[in-house]
Amino acid sequence: MDINGKYFKSFLEREEAFRKQYSAERIRKQHSKGKLTAHERIALLFDSGTFEEIDAYVTPSDQGVEFGKVDLAYGDGVVTGHGMIDGRLVFAFAQDFTIMGGSLGIVHARKIAKVQEMALKMGAPFIGINDSGGARIQEGIASLNGYAVIFNNIIQSSGIIPQISVIMGPAAGGAVYAPALTDWVFMTSHTSYMFVTGPNVVREVLNEEITSEDLGGAEVHARNSGVANMIYEDEENTIIAVRKFLSYLPSNNLENPPVSASQNDTPDFNPKLRDIVPDDPNKAYDVRDIINNLVDRNSFFETSELFAPNMITGFGRMEGRTIGIVANQPKVLAGVLDIDSSTKGARFIRFCDAFNIPILTLEDVPGFLPGKDQEHSGIIRHGAKLLFAYAEASVPRITVILRKAYGGAYIVMNSKGMGGDFNFAWPSAEIAVMGPDGAVAILYRRELAESKDPAALKKELVKKYREKVANPFIADEKGYIDEVIDPAQTRRKLLSAFSALSNKSVKVPSRKHGNMPL
Amino acid sequence: MKPDKPSIKKLYALSTEGHKFSFSLPLKNVIRVNGRDYNIELREDEKYGIHILWKNRRYPVEIVRTKQNRYEILFNDIGHIFTVETPISMQRKKVLGAGRSKSGTLTVRAPMPGKIIDVLVRENAEVIKGEALVILEAMKMQNEIQSVVSGRVTRVGVKAGQNVMKDDMLAEITVK
Repeated sequence: MDINGKYFKSFLEREEAFRKQYSAERIRKQHSKGKLTAHERIALLFDSGTFEEIDAYVTPSDQGVEFGKVDLAYGDGVVTGHGMIDGRLVFAFAQDFTIMGGSLGIVHARKIAKVQEMALKMGAPFIGINDSGGARIQEGIASLNGYAVIFNNIIQSSGIIPQISVIMGPAAGGAVYAPALTDWVFMTSHTSYMFVTGPNVVREVLNEEITSEDLGGAEVHARNSGVANMIYEDEENTIIAVRKFLSYLPSNNLENPPVSASQNDTPDFNPKLRDIVPDDPNKAYDVRDIINNLVDRNSFFETSELFAPNMITGFGRMEGRTIGIVANQPKVLAGVLDIDSSTKGARFIRFCDAFNIPILTLEDVPGFLPGKDQEHSGIIRHGAKLLFAYAEASVPRITVILRKAYGGAYIVMNSKGMGGDFNFAWPSAEIAVMGPDGAVAILYRRELAESKDPAALKKELVKKYREKVANPFIADEKGYIDEVIDPAQTRRKLLSAFSALSNKSVKVPSRKHGNMPL
Repeated sequence: MKPDKPSIKKLYALSTEGHKFSFSLPLKNVIRVNGRDYNIELREDEKYGIHILWKNRRYPVEIVRTKQNRYEILFNDIGHIFTVETPISMQRKKVLGAGRSKSGTLTVRAPMPGKIIDVLVRENAEVIKGEALVILEAMKMQNEIQSVVSGRVTRVGVKAGQNVMKDDMLAEITVK
């Protein structure tokens, strides 16, 4: 290496110092917690050899020196850069818990902000792997401002590039709002936590004993709060899932989702679909059985699986093209619409609309969940979100009514009047203002009261109502449904409908933004 | 393109019932179950779909659902759920699993107001994860309320025909 003389020597020395800072001891400590290091995570996430690290040699700010300065730490506790995932450009950061607990100082924040801005300019997805102790206390307000800049960048990029957060360690205090602002949150079970105030503060203020995992573990956020969209048992599976998930999404809002060339052997004509919905309207079934028979084989990627499972959301492919699926799940709570399922559906639809992903709605909904609990918690304004999201979505929208479609819930689930492009119904559909029992009780109140055998009369009237009113044929004849279709033909019908809608364009009036009931 | 990873020669399949199977990569026609090797062949063709050939007989296999390393399959029309683990993830499972034995009592509560149509378990009955405990009619639909854990039913709080409110106790299960 003599040719370059001493300059090259100092270059090599610096490289050596950089390597040394990741001592075996530090790596072992991270591994002993069941976690990978930042560089290992990056290596798993990107196509082999494509990741280019930026700002690897920056050093921490010297603010707050009087509190004790940290040892020389290149990179300031975060790895940032860009690389390829399935051959597509992606920007990312990965916080490095082995360097000062991954705490966020001003230099650390600037590094993240820099790649965020690059991702936005380049129109490439942005992934943040979070594993940080929080704001670096020594750096005070500078560190807080760092968070503010990162949040602001996320918000400015929202709806332009897909932004994904992966939580693989603690995310506490203000730090939780960075993931909360992004489109999707992935978490790893047992090793990641998110909370605004940790167990110590909870103990001091409320005298309540709670563990980090019970307060803000992956399971809690996936099932109860809905903060985490996808959770996996370990880090490798989490990262592989992120890679797979990205394959459904376009790089930015001006592109269409990538078309997958993967094999497709889902039959276009499938008699199996005729047998999934039970004849008895009181019996449940798993709507995912229908989804899996409509999309390309093994292409359904369910999102927010554990949160509000009475509404299924997820991505799938039809002949390689990404679609978003929103479906009522009769197997859970009868597929009823409640606060959680409305917000889950609304947020999913907003994402699809922002990123040019057509939406398929599979409807079997008995109505909104009645009761004090729901009404007092604001089902009116939360249900309104779902309406707003559907009507504002300018991507192709298709509905298939599988069975129940009653009242307000019928309207909400992408009905024709809400701007549904194609609305199909299976012969098993029941479309009416309310269910037969309720309707008969109101319409024939006097007759039922005067009858000698009200039970028998009611049964007869219910039967009549179901035949005469609660069926898809009236809606079809009046034009509120485009076609009643043979379930076996559903995939073929959907393929042709989505194809007809592929150039759909909607003129939206100029306005700053609508006022969604948040 | 796959990220750089040490090549894995051995994989494990863990079933939810706690069975462990190991197999080598690339797949060979030998599978080791309880210390004995079996000669089987995994095939896929137009006529029979995916099936396993063992002693000249075909056993149909259907992959019902996959989620990352979790596979729900139908083998001979019986459902099984497996997770596929590498030696490293097996090791980590052990480390993380230690000190997190999930013993304790779990209370199953009504997810919404309704009427109990049927109670399917008795006190002291053993239940497995996913087994139906009661049928709750709500929104004019019969909903199966399933156990989210495997264990023993220590208390049943409802009778058939009874009306329940949201969050009423349906059953208590002691986790094994």
